[in-house]
Amino acid sequence: MTAMLRMRISSAFFNGTHLRLLTCLSLAVVLLPPYLLFGGNSARTRSTERERGHRMTERTSILTERIQSIQVCTGTGKGVSCEKESVSGSVSQRACVYCGARVVLNPITDAYHIVHGPIGCASYTWDIRGSLSSGSELYRNSFSTDLREKDIIFGGEKKLWAAIQELMVKETPTPKLIFVYATCIVGVIGDDVTAVCKKAEDTYEIRVIPVFSPGFSGTKSTGYKIACDALTRLMLPYREQPKQFGVNILGDYNLAGEMWIIRNYLRRIGVPVIATITGDARFETLIQAPSATLNIVQCAGSSTYLANRMEAEFGVPYIKVSFFGVEDTTASICRIADALGISAIRTKAEEFVREETERVIPILRKYRPRLEGKRAAIFVGGGFKAISLMRQFRELGIQTVVVGTQTGKKDEYEILAQLADPETVILDDANPAELEQFMIEKKADILVGGVKERPLAYKLGIAFCDHNHERKHALGGFDGIENFVKEINLSINNPVWRYLDKE
Amino acid sequence: MGANLVNLNVNPCKMCMPMGAVTAFSGIQGCMSILHGSQGCATYIRRHMATHYNEPVDIASSSLSEQGTVFGGEENLLKGLKNLIHLYHPEVIGVATTCLAETIGEDIHRIIDRFHSENPEEKVKIIRVASAGYSGTQYEGFFRALRGLVEQLAENARKGDYINVITSMISPADTRWLKSCLRDVGLDFILLPDLSESLDGEYSREYRRLKTTGTSADDIARMGGARLTIEIADYISEEYSPAAYLEEAFGVPFLRISLPTGIESTDAFHAALRSAGGSIPDEFIRERGRYLDAMVDAHKFCAEARVAVFGEPDFVHAVIKLCCEIGAVPVVVATGSLCPDLITGLEDIVKEAAARLFVETVVLRDDADFDQIEAWCKETGANLLIGSSDGRRIAEKLSLPLIRCAFPIHDHIGGQRVRIMGYDGSHFLLEGIANAMIDHTHATYRREIAEKYLADEVSSKASEIALADRFIDTREIARKTETHPCYSCSSCGTHARMHLPIAPKCNIQCNYCVRKFDCPNESRPGVTTEVLKPREAFEKFKTVKAQFPNLSVVGIAGPGDALANFAETREALEMIRGYDPDITFCLSTNGLMLPFYAEELIRLGVTHVTVTMNTIDPDIGAKIYHHVDYMGTRLEGVAGAAVLLANQMTGIRMLAEKGIVVKVNCVAMKGVNDEHLYDVTKRAQELGAFITNIMPHIAVIGSAFEGLEKLNNKELEKLRSSCEVNIQQMRHCRQCRADAIGTLDEDLSIQFRTSSGNPDKSDSKVFRRIAAASKSGMIVDLHFGQAEEFYIYESDGRSTSFIEKRRVDKYCTGAQECDEHDNKMERILKAIADCEVVLALRIGDAPRKRLERMGILPVTTYDMVESAVLTAVQKI
Repeated sequence: MTAMLRMRISSAFFNGTHLRLLTCLSLAVVLLPPYLLFGGNSARTRSTERERGHRMTERTSILTERIQSIQVCTGTGKGVSCEKESVSGSVSQRACVYCGARVVLNPITDAYHIVHGPIGCASYTWDIRGSLSSGSELYRNSFSTDLREKDIIFGGEKKLWAAIQELMVKETPTPKLIFVYATCIVGVIGDDVTAVCKKAEDTYEIRVIPVFSPGFSGTKSTGYKIACDALTRLMLPYREQPKQFGVNILGDYNLAGEMWIIRNYLRRIGVPVIATITGDARFETLIQAPSATLNIVQCAGSSTYLANRMEAEFGVPYIKVSFFGVEDTTASICRIADALGISAIRTKAEEFVREETERVIPILRKYRPRLEGKRAAIFVGGGFKAISLMRQFRELGIQTVVVGTQTGKKDEYEILAQLADPETVILDDANPAELEQFMIEKKADILVGGVKERPLAYKLGIAFCDHNHERKHALGGFDGIENFVKEINLSINNPVWRYLDKE
Repeated sequence: MGANLVNLNVNPCKMCMPMGAVTAFSGIQGCMSILHGSQGCATYIRRHMATHYNEPVDIASSSLSEQGTVFGGEENLLKGLKNLIHLYHPEVIGVATTCLAETIGEDIHRIIDRFHSENPEEKVKIIRVASAGYSGTQYEGFFRALRGLVEQLAENARKGDYINVITSMISPADTRWLKSCLRDVGLDFILLPDLSESLDGEYSREYRRLKTTGTSADDIARMGGARLTIEIADYISEEYSPAAYLEEAFGVPFLRISLPTGIESTDAFHAALRSAGGSIPDEFIRERGRYLDAMVDAHKFCAEARVAVFGEPDFVHAVIKLCCEIGAVPVVVATGSLCPDLITGLEDIVKEAAARLFVETVVLRDDADFDQIEAWCKETGANLLIGSSDGRRIAEKLSLPLIRCAFPIHDHIGGQRVRIMGYDGSHFLLEGIANAMIDHTHATYRREIAEKYLADEVSSKASEIALADRFIDTREIARKTETHPCYSCSSCGTHARMHLPIAPKCNIQCNYCVRKFDCPNESRPGVTTEVLKPREAFEKFKTVKAQFPNLSVVGIAGPGDALANFAETREALEMIRGYDPDITFCLSTNGLMLPFYAEELIRLGVTHVTVTMNTIDPDIGAKIYHHVDYMGTRLEGVAGAAVLLANQMTGIRMLAEKGIVVKVNCVAMKGVNDEHLYDVTKRAQELGAFITNIMPHIAVIGSAFEGLEKLNNKELEKLRSSCEVNIQQMRHCRQCRADAIGTLDEDLSIQFRTSSGNPDKSDSKVFRRIAAASKSGMIVDLHFGQAEEFYIYESDGRSTSFIEKRRVDKYCTGAQECDEHDNKMERILKAIADCEVVLALRIGDAPRKRLERMGILPVTTYDMVESAVLTAVQKI
């Protein structure tokens, strides 16, 4: 029986072309929900092999090259194929290297961000993120060298140099920090951006940091790394400074003031914050970062590399933390206290998290009955965020039925598989067609995702949670927990859904 | 001012009946209105209508004077009618009474009869409406005029294939939409009233003062022959319903529906058109689809809206329905009209919308004024106003956006073109609501978040500086130094000291130290037989003090580092200080955490601190210290030494500056730091230390320096003498145990041992050391064999404390000799060798067995690190 069923599955699901998966599936047979394999119909359907195969082809929205990146969670088997390049033409939701670098560096408030290249890269990225500043608003601008055809042929170095010169002459206050992003074209035409930056540094005695971020040179994660290198380069000349007691916050971009919230928590337990990287960062505080006693890394995906470099270069040790959800926030605050090794801080930390937990638990309790039993789909950038969201949903009684990431790692998928129910679909680098198919099939009530995914969810009549860089309310820390459940509730229980004819 | 003026209507949210009557008459072809009353009524109404519709609105008045008021206004009205006819040549005249006319008891019916009999040649149709301002608002006035029109004009016409459509007061633009809608579904209809053109006229070269558009008197006459009336109004009383009259008088059945605003009401409108025989074109279905799509697109923004709606009952009803459909919460529902049905009609849906988003306070009231509405807006936290421009004062005061979509709109143009009906019209409200929220967020979130969270920072900063300096009596310290056996040789035979072994943990690994062994007969620093809890230490202190009245010093000298166990140190010292205010507190430390605790040590009354500082050169430090566990990270080699030395020196300076007596211990290691000690003692002096104590290194079996030759006494003395030029040297040190009791010469600690055997077993609070393989740091998320980092925890099963993060790749470098060909697994095993449990996402069979052989329990989990640690410890 099992053997027969297995045969059917292989031919029905994969049109017989993907025998490689046969072994992987053998363990899964019993656990796989038949309706997924048989095109949304129940296993009771007694149709011929041919009919089934035909229906699958007709219905399926999955490219054969993508099959291995999709898994129906079984808790066993080989897991999702991930950490690969996107399949051409599959309409990936991923972004580019420049995007990754820009995301990390953009929140530095008093820096000039010069995008060296044709206009597109700058025009897509000015003032689109919710990073907040307590001072300069400079970072909300994009400065572009706006390369034209002639520049592509003869090179854009002169234009870049002229741009920097002009800033130095005309801008007040005079720039003290400039980032120059080298985009795709600059990477191809071979402008010596380093030389121009060096010349500018020497001429004006300011910091001009090149950021080598041509889109083709990797993924968004590559961009994070490049940004981290740029930051290290920025800090290196200030390595010789006396140590002071205090931490740097890495990987929080102060979206909707989240960094401020975390910094307040730390101050409340007696931990001074030296530099914030890069949420609400400014040149003067950034260069003090090497003097800190400890780095705490919030967005591990973008900033672990920087933390490692800072440990190697400046001897600042680091620990990773997360401030999404009660559990993570509590653990992180206590961990920071422990890492600092000061029992008075640990005592204060315990007191603080107890108070805050007592405050937010009733809020969660209030919302839970409205959310229990709902079905969520998650499609976010990194694996850790997906895991964190899945756990938060579980706390609320929400079942995650589809979960995917743009750039999740193998181990992260394994944990997702562990957290998931047997029917959950797990996807790596999913495209809209797959999201569409599985959200419908799994009857998702809400999607958590980025801005691009939002209209798709809406067209399918599915609620949406904006867990992305455009959010205008904090989702981190204890303060964010309330915002999170509020947002889920207001979308998932919105009356508009009752007017949609979904069946 | 507030909502407490119960006897006054403050800033009215309604207008009077003649206003409504005149508006209705504006929708009648060739119709002029005359108000029977004093002049002001007509002028005010004209002014209001002129600014809203941006059209000339001519309204005549009988201009009652004092005489007319006293003796009757009949003559005024007759004259008025004549002049009006002369100037405008209307086909229909609407005579609306005012408060004055009604009150003085004018018999309009008779006056009009008289007019007709006196002017038999006049064919003008004169329609009378009783519209005293006190018996209703413009809403009632409007319908009374319509009722008057059908009552006085409709005839028992031959039945025809057409329908009547009667509306409440809607804008000219909505009227045009309604007409085209009726045409599109293929229905023949008579619309009453039709102010689509008369109050939104086009520009033409020739101006016509009499409006020639609108419902004609002939059409009204035919209304009795219609097969159906659709009356678009919710809260009209039967008494004034034109549809009810037509049914009663001519047997025309009628359907009453709400203003088609929002999805449900527009669907109902379409259903009504279908039931009237209309066929709905595909374009309507597409419009509906687009509106649904827009509802979804806007729903999250709309859900932020806490709306205050005010105006005529039908308008309020329409807007509230729409709000509830799109997820906005109406928090103030108010009409100026006396209309309890509106309140009962909307209560359920409003409360449902509020409950959905946990909004606690909503107000639904009729007969309201703007003063009350303002107070309710404040009370409920409304963030958006929807209604007429009369809400502008509240908008200004409370800084709220106002969507102007009801009569009157005085301060914007375009009142005549407000569109809120149908799916397309609903877009206006939907987008207005959503965009108001978006605009508000954009305009304020940066500032508001900054105010909320940056202000907080200021206050928390202030509390941080609360650690006040404590007054230190230097004479008192000098006296204590005199009686401290370690500091004063003269007291070493007379005064006893007691070391409390309450600090088991250490945060550095010196290469000369192995803290595993205990032998009661061995005496050297860092050795103890048992570790006491603070309370036990306190009990022991009391026992010893009872036997040795000369006990003058209580010290904490390990067996680990006093400051790596600061909670215990503090607890013990506080208890003892409470019992014996005079006892001298002394403490020894490696100094790693000294800068952090210096202040608190002073506060606790510690007057003597010994810091073991073996070098001031990080390179030499790298040879002496294998690693330093600092801020959650294990630092090795020069990096670790640099941190340690910097903190030692900072700490010594901090204490010395406050007058604390600091002794610097130096372990002289032959060939390692012996020649460097001159510099160390010199620096100690510069930092403010009181004395230095150069001790010979005691080679301990199993330590990295076990083979190191010990300095003989001669060499030691030579070293001390050479350093004496820098700072006073201690020569009577006995290198005591961590649990030493008695005078320096006579250790009586064996007499005071409280327990024998392993104290772990008698104590439920066992701290276990656990390693978690984690990449994210939050979850156990790595395969054991792939782990690059371990988060090391200690837990007693009740709480957890994070010790440090260890990087596997570091376990093949540093002073510890390590096989060049060490594979990753060996390094991993080395990194966690001191742990009792290891947590990983998965662990292979081979490593599992090896772990078990090493006495380490392998546990697989994908839980959060902290919970996994707790679960694992509880399981043991």
